[in-house]
Amino acid sequence: MTNLIQVKVPDIGDAEGADIIEVLIAVGDKIEKETPLIVLETDKATMEVPSSDAGVVKSISVAVGDQVSNGDVILELETQTESISTAETPVSPVETENQLEVVTKLDAEQAKPIENKPPEIIDILVPDIGDAVDVDVIEVLISKNDSITKEQSLIVLETDKATMEVPSSAAGTVLEVLVKVGDKVSQNDLIGRLSASANSVPSKESPQQTAAQKGPEKASHTSNVVQSAPINSDRNSPVPDHPHMKKKKSEGVIHASPSVRRFARELGAELSKVKGTGNKGRIVKDDVQNFIKFELSRPKATATSGSIATSELPTIDHAKWGEIETQSLTRIQKISSVNLHRNWISIPHVTQHEDADITELDAFRKSMKEEAMNSGTRLTPLAFIMKALVHTLKAFPKFNASLDNDGESLILKHYYHIGVAVETPDGLTVPVIRDVDQKGIYQIADELGEISAKAREKKLGANDMQGSSFTISSLGGIGGTAFSPIVKWPDVAILGLSRNKMQPVWNGKEFEPRLMLPMSLSYDHRVIDGADAARFVVHLAATLKDIRRVLLN
Amino acid sequence: MSNIKAQVVVIGAGPGGYTAAFRAADLGLEVVLIEEYQTLGGVCLNVGCIPSKALLHSAKVIDEAKSMETHGVSFGEPTIDIDKIREYKDGVVKQLTKGLSGMAKMRKVNVIQGVAKFESPTSLSVASDSGTQIVNFENCIIAAGSRVVQLPFLPDDPRIIDSTGALELKDIPEKMLVIGGGIIGLEMATVYRALGAGITIVEMFDQLIPAADKDVVKVLHRYVKKQYDSIMLETSVTKVEAKDDGLWVTFEGKKAPKEPQRFDRILSAVGRRPNGDKLNLEAVGVGVDERGFIAVDKQLKTNVANIYAIGDLVGQPMLAHKATHEAHVAAEVIAGKKHAFEPQCIPSVAYTDPELAWVGLTEKEAKEKGIEYSTGVFPWAASGRAIGVGRTEGFSKTLYDKDHRIIGAAAVGVNAGELIAEMGLAIEMGCEAEDIALTIHAHPTLSESFAFSAEAYEGTCTDLPPNRKK
Repeated sequence: MTNLIQVKVPDIGDAEGADIIEVLIAVGDKIEKETPLIVLETDKATMEVPSSDAGVVKSISVAVGDQVSNGDVILELETQTESISTAETPVSPVETENQLEVVTKLDAEQAKPIENKPPEIIDILVPDIGDAVDVDVIEVLISKNDSITKEQSLIVLETDKATMEVPSSAAGTVLEVLVKVGDKVSQNDLIGRLSASANSVPSKESPQQTAAQKGPEKASHTSNVVQSAPINSDRNSPVPDHPHMKKKKSEGVIHASPSVRRFARELGAELSKVKGTGNKGRIVKDDVQNFIKFELSRPKATATSGSIATSELPTIDHAKWGEIETQSLTRIQKISSVNLHRNWISIPHVTQHEDADITELDAFRKSMKEEAMNSGTRLTPLAFIMKALVHTLKAFPKFNASLDNDGESLILKHYYHIGVAVETPDGLTVPVIRDVDQKGIYQIADELGEISAKAREKKLGANDMQGSSFTISSLGGIGGTAFSPIVKWPDVAILGLSRNKMQPVWNGKEFEPRLMLPMSLSYDHRVIDGADAARFVVHLAATLKDIRRVLLN
Repeated sequence: MSNIKAQVVVIGAGPGGYTAAFRAADLGLEVVLIEEYQTLGGVCLNVGCIPSKALLHSAKVIDEAKSMETHGVSFGEPTIDIDKIREYKDGVVKQLTKGLSGMAKMRKVNVIQGVAKFESPTSLSVASDSGTQIVNFENCIIAAGSRVVQLPFLPDDPRIIDSTGALELKDIPEKMLVIGGGIIGLEMATVYRALGAGITIVEMFDQLIPAADKDVVKVLHRYVKKQYDSIMLETSVTKVEAKDDGLWVTFEGKKAPKEPQRFDRILSAVGRRPNGDKLNLEAVGVGVDERGFIAVDKQLKTNVANIYAIGDLVGQPMLAHKATHEAHVAAEVIAGKKHAFEPQCIPSVAYTDPELAWVGLTEKEAKEKGIEYSTGVFPWAASGRAIGVGRTEGFSKTLYDKDHRIIGAAAVGVNAGELIAEMGLAIEMGCEAEDIALTIHAHPTLSESFAFSAEAYEGTCTDLPPNRKK
């Protein structure tokens, strides 16, 4: 069924009598909605009048040179009934919305070309790992036929700066693993292939992939290559968030002028992480500078050097002086050497020594030993010392704290997680006993036993070693009179314990044999004064001398 | 066979190549520049941008002199001495290419004439009339440019020319067919039309200059339609027969005439293709895609560590000003600087009459990318300056994202090519509509039309009819 409608001149402002300078259609033309019909010229502008409907032109009521105004009939249109809308309504809002919806749907489909496909083989590539090339693979965590989830770690890479795990960008079954320990890899190298589980390759998870597809220079990337998710090397780092760092990666175009963009690239600052302080979040040169300054000053979790420049050590041919053997350091040794070095040079250390009289404490412990053994607990002096330590920490909260990276404030911790240094064949590890203040001595002793065993069996997870608020290093089982432990950042102090021994102590009248425990407290002098440290050890010694003090508050 | 050593060798002395060579030399590197032709400057200086602009200037003055009749000034019919026009154009080219040679000498850039081919990832052979040389290099920048696409069905006939042939300006044909309604074809049509030729344009797409937005192109289309014999959109050439009385052309498509048409001259301007296939790149394993483009990263590095590529060879847009900026980056990266080619936008200009220019996103691209945007438009019919020169057909348009930041701009009208530069700066600097609107532009100028377009976007423009509530 057809219908005749009139197409009229729409509202063209107050312009009355606009000249028609062109007629763009003829009788019999089949036109679409929005097809330009005539060109009008007013004293201000030239404009085209689009058709409000689709249909076939039956007659034209105007000609070039005519003057028209709002509401004048331009032509008659024969339309199909389905598409009728009144001539006065150029575009009905409902239709517009529908169109938009269709467009959005199309967009969404285009945006996720992979998602709706059946399971397929996905190449997993090394993601953007900064400027690092030829990075050592130090661990391969997956093997053929493993079923893996998204974000599961695939391999561990080690650069001169950091150790990082490469997570999977997709879930699926491992078809093949193409790297092995000792290989050197760079960005975009193939790690392995996955047979994807359905709907497991959300395109959103790989922004680099999307970027690569958009960027003209990377047009050669094929669509089923999925890069591993970008490494968030901050994720496992104890370093707090950057004050100049955005919480979220910026979307869209970065608001920075070309010179600032180049400046950032030269310094290696990733602009998407820099917070702009300019008008409407514009990144200015100062922002980049502040970002870099902070990056340089803040202690890196795995950086090799702090802010102090040290002269490089000369290379020495040791073999010149006799027979030698080169032994590679274990992974734990390498990591702890980096951390210890950093802490040693970036924290001003002072070590305070004190001997604690533990004669009564030890007598009590021995008297309880058998009873404890019966319930399966090995009652060690350390469990008592930890309980006493927490008692003292509560009296001196500054010792259970971290210095904020900006150097402006102290972060006091209302939890008491005590790290305990444990020697293992591979090197030193520091598992953490949590909430010591809420635990009884038996429980502490039990947990100490468990966690030390775990450490020696190399079964400690990252979680077991994080979050300490204070650390104890005990060499009491071995010997020695005193030593200077290195503060384990972000703690501000560490308690070293040497071997206790019976010593003559003057009680005012005579020398008495007392069991003395030598304690060495190293502390961060930026946070703790010498007097505080002395008070701390005196308080701790007093607590150890009479453990009943723990009950008092 | 002599052996030459260089820290940096640059293949091709077009705008990209000579810029890369000069920049590398300025950064203290030892540079060899290899050019196939006798003169430096490449297509742009010798047979492209520069000579065409010299001719377009003549065309412009001819047209403007004529249009002065309506202002009450008559010059009479112009006398055209085509030899002298050609001489002038050649003089311009000579002056510039000579200047380049001098600048190369001053920088101690070793210029070698010949055809370069890769021998290994660290050596090239350069063949010329005087023999073959081997150039050993530490780093190479490929800037070998592009060449005209040849339509396979065109017969070999001197009356069928490409842009190079058109610039030679042998004579003025009576009826000239331009195949391709892109920038190059339309610029040459502008020149030949002003000099007296009858022009027919045939274009496969549904608009001239397909990359630009329809509304912008429409103004140009409407203007040139009156000057040309015919513009056939959505039409293509299927056959050309070279006969003694002329070139008989058969068309196919929407606007195709039924009978073959006769032309005196055919200008084929259907695009350019990269010269990646001429360098024996297989010998070094530099990857070329199916269209001949070399894939490079943001630092213009190819997949071979010490080999870089810039300009037309690495992709669209094939523009001299893109190549020169890439050239700086490539040379600087080789010199150890951590630079990268990461512009927000690259302007495009058609030096037609009226000129057409755009920078950043077009509406078309914004829609394709799903970017939410709105526009501000200022018609030159409301510009006192445009009215004064009697050219009110144009308009200026700016595109903004939902945060009101400018993401693109376009203009059509006289001098649009010069006006667009300001909007490029605005995009790079991340200007918002308000920034542009609040920047005081001189009155009366055409440049203020962009400020007015920003005001129009903001709804604060008082040089347009009052804003009605949407």
